[in-house]
Amino acid sequence: MRPRTVELGLLVLASLITVSAYGLTSLGRAASLPANIVPFLGILVGLLLASHLVVRRWAPHADGLLLPLAALLNGLGYVVIARLNPDLADSQSAWTFIGLAAFALFLIAVPDVRPFERYRYTLALVGVVLLLLPLIPGLGVNINGARIWLRVGPFSIQPGEFAKIVLSMFLAGYLVDKRELLTVATRRLGRLNIPDIKHFGPLGLAWGVALIVMVAERDLGSSLLFFTLFIVMIYIATGRTAYVVFGLTLFAGGAYAAHQMFGHVRQRVAIWLDPFEDPKGDGFQIVEAAFALADGGITGTGLGLGTPGKMPFAATDMIFAAVGEELGLLGGTAVLATFLLFVGAGFRVAATAKSTFEKFLAAGLTALLGFQAFVIIGGILRVLPLTGVTLPFVSYGGSSLISNYIALAILVRISDRANRPDLLPSPSRVGVPSEGVPT
Amino acid sequence: MIDRNIRHVLIVLLGCFLLLFIQLNRVQVVDAESLRQHPANTRTVQRDFSRPRGIISTADGVVVARSVETDGPFELLREYPEGDLYGHVAGYLSFNIGADGVERSYNDELVGRTPALQLGGLAGILGTEEATGQVVLTLRHDLQTAARDALGDQRGSVVMLDPRSGDILAMWSNPSFDPNRLSSHDGQSVNESFTELVNAEDNPLRAKAFRDIYFPGSTFKLVTAATAIETGVLRLNSPVFDVTTEYTPPLTTRPISNFGGNPCGGPLIDLLRQSCNTGFAQIGAELLGPERLTRQAQAFGFNTVPPLDIPGAVASRFPTDFGAEQRPPSVETPAGVFEDSPGLAQASIGQNDVSATPLQMALVAAAVANEGEIFAPRVVGEIKNSQGETVTTPNPQIWQRPMSTATAADMRLAMLAVVEDGSGVRAQVSNVEVGGKTGTAQLGTEPPQSHAWFVAFAGRPGNETELVVAVFVEATEDNGDQTGGRAAAPIAQVLIDHYFNG
Repeated sequence: MRPRTVELGLLVLASLITVSAYGLTSLGRAASLPANIVPFLGILVGLLLASHLVVRRWAPHADGLLLPLAALLNGLGYVVIARLNPDLADSQSAWTFIGLAAFALFLIAVPDVRPFERYRYTLALVGVVLLLLPLIPGLGVNINGARIWLRVGPFSIQPGEFAKIVLSMFLAGYLVDKRELLTVATRRLGRLNIPDIKHFGPLGLAWGVALIVMVAERDLGSSLLFFTLFIVMIYIATGRTAYVVFGLTLFAGGAYAAHQMFGHVRQRVAIWLDPFEDPKGDGFQIVEAAFALADGGITGTGLGLGTPGKMPFAATDMIFAAVGEELGLLGGTAVLATFLLFVGAGFRVAATAKSTFEKFLAAGLTALLGFQAFVIIGGILRVLPLTGVTLPFVSYGGSSLISNYIALAILVRISDRANRPDLLPSPSRVGVPSEGVPT
Repeated sequence: MIDRNIRHVLIVLLGCFLLLFIQLNRVQVVDAESLRQHPANTRTVQRDFSRPRGIISTADGVVVARSVETDGPFELLREYPEGDLYGHVAGYLSFNIGADGVERSYNDELVGRTPALQLGGLAGILGTEEATGQVVLTLRHDLQTAARDALGDQRGSVVMLDPRSGDILAMWSNPSFDPNRLSSHDGQSVNESFTELVNAEDNPLRAKAFRDIYFPGSTFKLVTAATAIETGVLRLNSPVFDVTTEYTPPLTTRPISNFGGNPCGGPLIDLLRQSCNTGFAQIGAELLGPERLTRQAQAFGFNTVPPLDIPGAVASRFPTDFGAEQRPPSVETPAGVFEDSPGLAQASIGQNDVSATPLQMALVAAAVANEGEIFAPRVVGEIKNSQGETVTTPNPQIWQRPMSTATAADMRLAMLAVVEDGSGVRAQVSNVEVGGKTGTAQLGTEPPQSHAWFVAFAGRPGNETELVVAVFVEATEDNGDQTGGRAAAPIAQVLIDHYFNG
């Protein structure tokens, strides 16, 4: 089947799931269908159809799974947010609209992402500035202990969300440039091939950036994600385990130092180890999430029939627990599976991408999204200490949603170019590295 | 090369998500039930808070908890007409802080969510009948009141139960609390009351009967004696232990002496009658050894949370590690000598690291009274529907079988002897066969402080033994010289007399 047909069919399916869930939630709460269900369906289908048409016109050969998977996650998240807090839901629908608009605009305006490669150092600067903006007095604001917000008029935006994309681009470009150098091993240490010591510089820089985010902005989750992104991308570019080992060592060192130095880090770790020590105080959030999930059991309480509102930050950090409470193990597993499918589709884009830059960029963005889902769900489930990052496409939050849709647009753009028939290698050239195929 | 690296990252991510999936299963399936039952979990209570809810009543029909209509934020207010008398058993139902006691563990029955109640309610679907259930306690109001009055102002606990079923007939701990203070709809006053209770010097929410553990002192000699008989090491009347005032366990120079420095000795039945420390310390340390004593204590239920049908019961403790063997069994020490043989000698008389709930000590006596079998203790014996018809009467369940019928019969004789002409004479009741064991657990000598214990069984001569009583009077600064025989046995006497003679 042609990818656009697949996409259209899946988008219809995602809409149906979202609308059914929306209706069921209302039935569960008030025993009646919501008054606005028909317009809701209309707007949803309209938005997705418009996005589909944009893809059909400006990226006709792109993978057909990416957009429907994102739409499903976004739709499910919206239903849960609407169930928790109607005011937030209104904003979230606006953010969704803007997100999809950004998605469409990107596809229309950017026919090819490779030109970004040239501006890698500019992008690096932009990324670091975006990250550090909230630290500027008067501009940045503290919300819930983390200084990662900018107050612009009535809105708060998290520039760090956009920095992730910009820095992914920088890294992809940087690694294309320095890949050869970074790969050459100049010495051996046991079983590890160690590249020249000066090439560890960028890793050190990444470590520094992650450290600033953690120390100055107190955003443990983003710090962890940035660092993971750097390590993953360097590994993809070089295949050198030495960087991973070195990176993890740096991380372990940083984490240990942070644990020693900062009370809030120690507190997070203590809560992680035993949230039941103080179930009404420090451990409240994580304990309530466990209770919510336990209430859900295998099949869930049913949409609108649970009490996910008891959890602090139910619509943002803890949204996965809210899904797990009302949709149960089955719903939670479906969300995990959706993310896995998205990660699989994203990596397939990377594998088929025509240029090394696009490969790195697609792989980096995909890994970022996958690990972000892992970090927040793992935090809720106590696989790791809880750090407040959003569940991509699902959690409430404008910056996160818009930046995720831009990342999606980049993946779609790369996928489109990879599958263009005029660019496909002729049969005789199958198997030859596709790098540098002229356009 | 790059694609291979991407595949590696994909594999790592797959592993991460597999981890999430496993953990999700643990939280939502494997651990789900224990999380739902967790004391800090208020979700079920809050969901059911404004639903119609059945009454809780005693076995003899006194209403302990009921819902009344109010104009407040919720339509129904939970009331506890008997105040603090059933606080620890019925518990409370609070929007802010959750529920406890029967209100918590029988929540499904009270709101009518069990299959039995819903099936019964099917007929009522056409009508307007509520499917709520009534919970009938095994406790008797007259005995519960008598237990409170007999203990009076003393801190401590009384447990009365029927050894033939595990039915708890009275369970009173002082201090207690008034559940009305925690069930009010005034959230702030509820929170204040709760904080005040939790921070009180002697936390009244922590029922002494089953939520706290204390040195059982000489009442633990029942376990030591049962071990000796059950393992065939001793018989009731032989061998005869030398009369002595002191016993020094192996590997120490610190002797164990008898209460008041008195000399005692003789066969096992006399050791128990006089509550002879030196004899029992020697039996435990030299004749039984760590393995047998630990196994038998655990068979009585130590180191296991008893299956009480209300939340929060704690396990009583008996040490499981007395160190490595130092000397093999010999003629002088047939059980060998272990690193902590001195500790074992102490443990054999209920000191050292041994501690027990009053409920657990009642269950030890219940095993003797019930031919060696312990029934799971319970406070609820019957569920009725909203019309008052019986819906379920759960069968009593055997929890432990610590000893044979023959051993139980021997133990019975020994405990009868204690009340007949031993340390428990103050528990004698006319026309009733009473067996018991005193306990005086010394906490310190400067100033002297001791817990006073008495555990007993009672029955009409020639009839089944139908009552077990455990009395625990906690050590305070004012009762420093109290003993089990003088402080606790008379309380048991009053209660046994009340039970049989009204």
